[in-house]
Amino acid sequence: MRKYMTLFIAALCLASVAYATDSQIWGEMRIQNILGYGQEESWKLGPLFTLLQSKYFAWIFLGVLLGVPLVFFLHYKIVGPKVFPHSHNKHYAFNLFHRTVHQIAAVSFLVLLPTGFIIVFGDFFGGGTLVRMAKNLHGLFTIPFAIVVIPMALMWLKEALFNLEDVKWFMILGGYLSKEKQIINATQFNAGQKMWYWVAILGGITMILSGAFMFFLDFKMEMLHNITGLSQIDLLRVAAILHNVMGFAVVALFITHVYMSMFAIKGAVHSIITGYVEEEEVKILHNAWYKKLKEKGKF
Amino acid sequence: MSRMKFYCDDNRCIECFACSVACAEAHELPTGISRRKVITLFDGIEGKEVSTSIACMHCTDAPCEQVCPVDCFYIREDGIVLHDKEKCIGCGYCLYACPFGAPQFPRDGAFGAKGAMDKCTMCAGGPLETNSEKERHLYGQNRIAEGRVPMCAAVCSTNALLVGDAESVSTIYRKRVAGRGKGA
Repeated sequence: MRKYMTLFIAALCLASVAYATDSQIWGEMRIQNILGYGQEESWKLGPLFTLLQSKYFAWIFLGVLLGVPLVFFLHYKIVGPKVFPHSHNKHYAFNLFHRTVHQIAAVSFLVLLPTGFIIVFGDFFGGGTLVRMAKNLHGLFTIPFAIVVIPMALMWLKEALFNLEDVKWFMILGGYLSKEKQIINATQFNAGQKMWYWVAILGGITMILSGAFMFFLDFKMEMLHNITGLSQIDLLRVAAILHNVMGFAVVALFITHVYMSMFAIKGAVHSIITGYVEEEEVKILHNAWYKKLKEKGKF
Repeated sequence: MSRMKFYCDDNRCIECFACSVACAEAHELPTGISRRKVITLFDGIEGKEVSTSIACMHCTDAPCEQVCPVDCFYIREDGIVLHDKEKCIGCGYCLYACPFGAPQFPRDGAFGAKGAMDKCTMCAGGPLETNSEKERHLYGQNRIAEGRVPMCAAVCSTNALLVGDAESVSTIYRKRVAGRGKGA
């Protein structure tokens, strides 16, 4: 193990030396990078990134960070949580593998989000050591998430495909706007969960890739230049814009995910901790899945 | 007070790289970092070949200063754009905003993490106490404080690289253009 780690670190070091000798930003390519700035036929990504980053990104992040929890706070006060008796029969829905993968992703997210916010509001924190540490942690905790994102995508792919029932779910927002327990005809995952799945997986992969671009900065990818016609620096601008915009969606839905599991449906979070889902909860919120389980003689 | 500006007269630049080397030596920059670079367009095509020297251009409306998430940039009264390396986190945003590719990042952290950004200071040091040991170590010489010309312009053998307040620079250049009848 140690041997492989040493090899890996050596490869990284060598890679950064290789970057320095054939720079895509400060070497010969610098002319292309400069020419691409704000010319008529270019995408004008330089001015665009400057505008977005200086005027909008931080405010939108602040809006999401305060707005989304506020909406849920009101929901909690007005509609209130759904409480299910947790003494009934249970069904073992998430095995150890599911739970482990989910928990690694969860821990990564719990570091990635706050550190991301510390970077976004870096001027509020005054820069320096704290924000620098946040930046480094932000990069470091990408690694565990990158490792589990593919297994997580595959293990729930079948359940996360949208079907016609999901349209109905969106019409009534899954019945969460009423105090009554309506029977919702959803499969193992309802439309909201499916939406989070796709944002977390596809959005997460987008975040990993765009983040890696910004971390490595000076890499050589001929293919990308050929396909997009963008210079190195414009690729980085696209990555930075994508990373922020995707960030809004990931943050908003992550907060939603946490709220639903911990507050809106009392005790729902235990299903991913112990692996057991509770009968009545499934019967009401995931009726289609419940019927299937009944047929198989579960519960 | 007018603003300090660089201007490289590409009719005079002979691609000798003196500015780049002198800068790196004067400020004792780490290997692989050069704040000023000479670029050549249409290399080898007679009559079209043109060279110029590029560093931080100390923009009037500096985009780097606008995008910095930790707000580590500050613009001096005389228009020189500087930044605080102790605040800087090395995120790279200033590089994406910069039209000239001026900001550079020495990779001195673990796993090749980007260190604090380094760029041309127009030989005006940084926010620390003028001519202190620490200022010199982090930002290089503070020649402006001593009333000297920035290193690159000082060593330019053909006087292609002009630096000073915008008025004086444009006066000198205007005279040159009038004299040789081209280059405006």
